[in-house]
Amino acid sequence: MTTPEQSDRGAHGGVTPGHYYGHGLPYHNIDNYPGKIIAIEGTDGVGRSTQIRLLREWLEVQGYGVIETGWTRSQLMQPTITLAKSSNTLNKLTFVLLYACDFADRMEKEIIPALKAGFIVLADRYIFSAIARATVRDVDSQWIRRLYGFAIAPHLVFYLKIEADALARRVLEAGGMEYWESGMDLKLGDDIYDNFRHYQRQLIKAYAAMGDEFGFRIIEGRKSISAIQQELRRQIGEFLEGSDGPRRFSEELDALGAEG
Amino acid sequence: MFVTEWNSSALVKAATKAGKKKNALTPMTFSLLHATDFADRLLYKIIPPLKAGMIVLADRYAFTAFARDAARGVDRQWVRDLYSFAVRPDLCVYFRVTIDVSLDRLLARRVKLKFYEAGMDMGWSTNPTESFRIFQSKVLEEYDRIVPEHSLSVVDATGSITEQQREFRLLVSENLERQPS
Repeated sequence: MTTPEQSDRGAHGGVTPGHYYGHGLPYHNIDNYPGKIIAIEGTDGVGRSTQIRLLREWLEVQGYGVIETGWTRSQLMQPTITLAKSSNTLNKLTFVLLYACDFADRMEKEIIPALKAGFIVLADRYIFSAIARATVRDVDSQWIRRLYGFAIAPHLVFYLKIEADALARRVLEAGGMEYWESGMDLKLGDDIYDNFRHYQRQLIKAYAAMGDEFGFRIIEGRKSISAIQQELRRQIGEFLEGSDGPRRFSEELDALGAEG
Repeated sequence: MFVTEWNSSALVKAATKAGKKKNALTPMTFSLLHATDFADRLLYKIIPPLKAGMIVLADRYAFTAFARDAARGVDRQWVRDLYSFAVRPDLCVYFRVTIDVSLDRLLARRVKLKFYEAGMDMGWSTNPTESFRIFQSKVLEEYDRIVPEHSLSVVDATGSITEQQREFRLLVSENLERQPS
């Protein structure tokens, strides 16, 4: 069992997990919602989606309700972002704002209802990816943090850490480098490999700079899939045991039995 | 001279249209989509003519968002911070009318009030006219805060078009005379 102090240790940014970072949505009070947000952060190709799939299975077998959410999956924004990325009209400001809109849509339509219902939200990246990308593009750091003041602080944030060189090999093996992942919009030159490394290095630096601010739990991304998974399960298991949040289905039944 | 209108960038038109059609926008996504549209127009349509020394006439500006988003319950300070990337206008004129006048004018022009224009997304009333009245009174209250806060010049828009235009031209020419050319 963890002490309440330990279980409260999450992605703060000076904020209690499960609360808004900043002004929030004044029209939506989220106090005392039983659900939890667990975010897996890390740069492109570090293996987040595999880990999330495995975590989901593990949590569901234990009887937890789980939903997944990830960038550009919002119904509202997905077509627009795809279109904007395929054309060349995006600049850094509209890029940042389109992503914020995607996040807001998912937060209100997926994350908040899930928290209310006592689900565990597995977030494949969270606002930290958006902040890192904006930082690399020289967007004002205060402005971007205030912008995401409507976001809810996750209960746990895991950061899968990897070096740009190891990442480059992994991404090449998996099918090659892509325009946006390589930061080609920064117009540093035509060589995609050099750009990828430079861009990812900058991103990794930006993530590292946020670690303390937002309470990242760092996990070495070069370890095997199963080793990473074990570590995630160990930490999440400890956290869930120590929290008074989501109840497993069997616990719900016990509670009903006790009441009835 | 260059004219720019609210909500006209091609970039976010698709999302805004889809969201409005399905009535799927929340106050926050409504706010962020309009900010994206504004950012797109600022960079492509407003800043270049300014650099070329032209006059940009903006049909609505960030203040519309300040008023409308706050009326929908988005945090006032958050919206102001959001738009801190905007260029401060040299002159900002607010055409003030009462709710009754604006309703009469809108209803005279077309048959039906639009869903978001009437604030129907807020669920205050299922009657569009009644909803518009509730929503717009909140919007006007917000403008009453914005006028002193951002030193907007107010033109009484209940008067005739000729009167308004005379007043408007006077404000513009005074402002232009003060500017170093």
